[in-house]
Amino acid sequence: MLSRVAESLYWMTRYLERAENTARLINSSTQVLLDLPKGASFGWDVLIRVVGLDHQVRERGIKLDEASIMAFLIEDEDNPSSILSSIHYARENTRTFREVLPMEIWERINGLYLYIRQNAKRATHGRSERYEVLNSVIERRQSIVGLLAGSMSHDIAFQFLKLGRNLERADMTTRIVDVNSAVLLPTDEGLAVPAMERLWMSTLNALSAYQMYRRHVGVHVRAHDVVQFLLKDPHFPRTVHHCLNEIEGCLSVLPEHEQAMKAARQAYRRLDMMKLDGLAPVVLHEYLDQVQADLSAIHEAVSQQYFYLHHHPVAEQSQSQ
Amino acid sequence: MDILAKNYRLNEAYDELIGPDRQPRPAAKPLFDYLASIDAGTLDARRKAVEAAIMTMGITFTVYSDAGNIDRAWPFDIIPRIIARSEWEHIEAGLKQRLQALNLFISDLYNAQRIVKDGVFPIEVLEGSRNFREQCKGITPRFGVWAHICGTDLVRDKDGTVYVLEDNLRVPSGVSYMLENRQLMKRMFPEIFQAATILPVDDYPTRLHDTLAALSPREGERPVIVVLTPGIYNSAYFEHSYLAQQMGAFLVEGSDLVVNGDDCVYMKTISGLRRVDVIYRRIDDDFLDPEAFRPDSALGVPGLMRAWRAGKVGIANAPGAGVADDKVVYAFVPRMIKYYLGEEPILANVPSYLCMYEDQRDYVLANLDKLVVKPANESGGYGMLIGPRSSKEERAQFAELIKENPRNYMAQPTLDISTAPTLFNDQLSPRHLDLRPFVLQSDRMYVTTGGLTRVAMKEGSLVVNSSQGGGSKDTWIVDMEGV
Repeated sequence: MLSRVAESLYWMTRYLERAENTARLINSSTQVLLDLPKGASFGWDVLIRVVGLDHQVRERGIKLDEASIMAFLIEDEDNPSSILSSIHYARENTRTFREVLPMEIWERINGLYLYIRQNAKRATHGRSERYEVLNSVIERRQSIVGLLAGSMSHDIAFQFLKLGRNLERADMTTRIVDVNSAVLLPTDEGLAVPAMERLWMSTLNALSAYQMYRRHVGVHVRAHDVVQFLLKDPHFPRTVHHCLNEIEGCLSVLPEHEQAMKAARQAYRRLDMMKLDGLAPVVLHEYLDQVQADLSAIHEAVSQQYFYLHHHPVAEQSQSQ
Repeated sequence: MDILAKNYRLNEAYDELIGPDRQPRPAAKPLFDYLASIDAGTLDARRKAVEAAIMTMGITFTVYSDAGNIDRAWPFDIIPRIIARSEWEHIEAGLKQRLQALNLFISDLYNAQRIVKDGVFPIEVLEGSRNFREQCKGITPRFGVWAHICGTDLVRDKDGTVYVLEDNLRVPSGVSYMLENRQLMKRMFPEIFQAATILPVDDYPTRLHDTLAALSPREGERPVIVVLTPGIYNSAYFEHSYLAQQMGAFLVEGSDLVVNGDDCVYMKTISGLRRVDVIYRRIDDDFLDPEAFRPDSALGVPGLMRAWRAGKVGIANAPGAGVADDKVVYAFVPRMIKYYLGEEPILANVPSYLCMYEDQRDYVLANLDKLVVKPANESGGYGMLIGPRSSKEERAQFAELIKENPRNYMAQPTLDISTAPTLFNDQLSPRHLDLRPFVLQSDRMYVTTGGLTRVAMKEGSLVVNSSQGGGSKDTWIVDMEGV
């Protein structure tokens, strides 16, 4: 596998996962807004902050109302993390390694791109249309994941796809959880408790996790139970714990994986040690930052090991034939 | 739907599907029987389905002038171009004969230059050749073959004669569109493929793979084959990626390869360097190796020529093969065939006037309004003068160009190239077209079944190049026996 191609595969799924999770994030926030009681406030700018784009928004002087922020997150071509840009990059990346993917994958990714290009504007404005378009993005993306799993050999190329997907997914899960730490609830406890419950229910819904949470944790939606579930449950496929397991699985198949594996295990140990009971929102936010930094360390180790040759001229060195 | 009743206007040119009696030619009869059996709505629905499929399949072609948009959909006409098998076999034999002679010629030029010494090929032409590579002198690649992949452009004149218009020996493109066009047609019109014996085209990637594999310097191992592309901004990137995929080869860019002190070529993989045996390069000589050719090239691989000369890697087409891809050299191909093979040419050349010879130049200058003037080394239809459609100023400008650099120009009579019915809305109109078959040569030879038919989508236009807005059609070689 060429270093350049491995890197493109990795980024292709990261971009697609980012697009899907941004769609999930927006959908859930829109739901949250509808359910908030009087006296609670929710600033759309929190979305910008959790995805780590607040600098960019400030620099470009983008307004913080719903329409501007939606435009920024969905269709802004100057925002490299917008849904449209992410899918565009994924498509352009796919072009460079079409020969390693089943033909249908390219057709689906191209189809997804054509769809979002045509519908991004629609999704930015009306809330109901937004829900429909973003849901369709999620569905189309899911069909690509399914097609990959079912029609591509689980070879080295596949491991890089899976690696990128799980790293991005774990990262986005922490960000989606982080949204709630920014919601200010009414002081009246009689209003705050059910509001809190609805908030976390939306978070679970955003990650398609509500049903599994109910089955495996319980019917009551409590903040620390949800956080515990989304970070540490080993079985639900969007939890940080599960993603880290998947990452280790991918790495174990790749050659010369020691450094990256070390980073993955470090992330896992730290996650394992986190005590999440009765956490203040601010502390939770810091914990989540820590998880994001650990994920980023895995990314660094992977880049260094597998993508390095692509970025640097090669002198005489070890050869394998 | 009686599609011919809708005023199909035959003009002066030969029509590939419709005879002068306004009836379908025999090979086209099954197609018109089918068209008669469906209504206009069905045909239009199929055409739209094809356009949608082209979009989702992402069959694209880059046009440089479309700023911001790196690719656009491949314009495709659903009415195929049809040739009877018996005629095709004749053309096929002619194509093989031609490429054999061309390869003998290239080898000769880089070695003993017998053809020059024997006075059959003038030394002046060689001296003026932009694509002759000093670096290739004294080399004889495996099987003596330099041009492993050749795209030969054919046209048919008014009287039905098929002429060779040019031999593309550098990095000819278009074969992926030939393959995709057939896929589209089979998806959309499965009924016709049942009714008629249309010869398949899809073995090309396998044959290309075998042609390349035969060049591997390492015996007995499964060779590592790569397709070397300039990258996604190249107009033919789609094809590079398509062929790599179809052959199970690696698609690489120059930066993925490195030549080490052992003169072997390696590619940079996730587990270190891996040796490469054969390179199907889709970048021009100039950019291939900054050590040997243009030092400013960022597309190539430093040391590649060294590796090739040392016999450590196969390169197709071989560096230097482009010397025979020259419109002046073209004029000598019939003589090469007689000289090297002792045979009469099976396919005719278009009569050509070489401006390097005074008498022929005088004729060209006096008849610019009747001739097509071509520069020796351009491709893609650039830099041509089409006399009958040119302005006085353009002719004056070309007269100057010719006088300044006579070696670089040749002229041919304007051919009335053939047409075929092409669908616009629900009406057929004639459009001019050519045909580019692909010929392979290494240890054996192979010719595609048909080739890529390119069609000028604009009424009356003779320019079929995809870089200038041409489209394409599926090409059917139809077996008439037992019909």
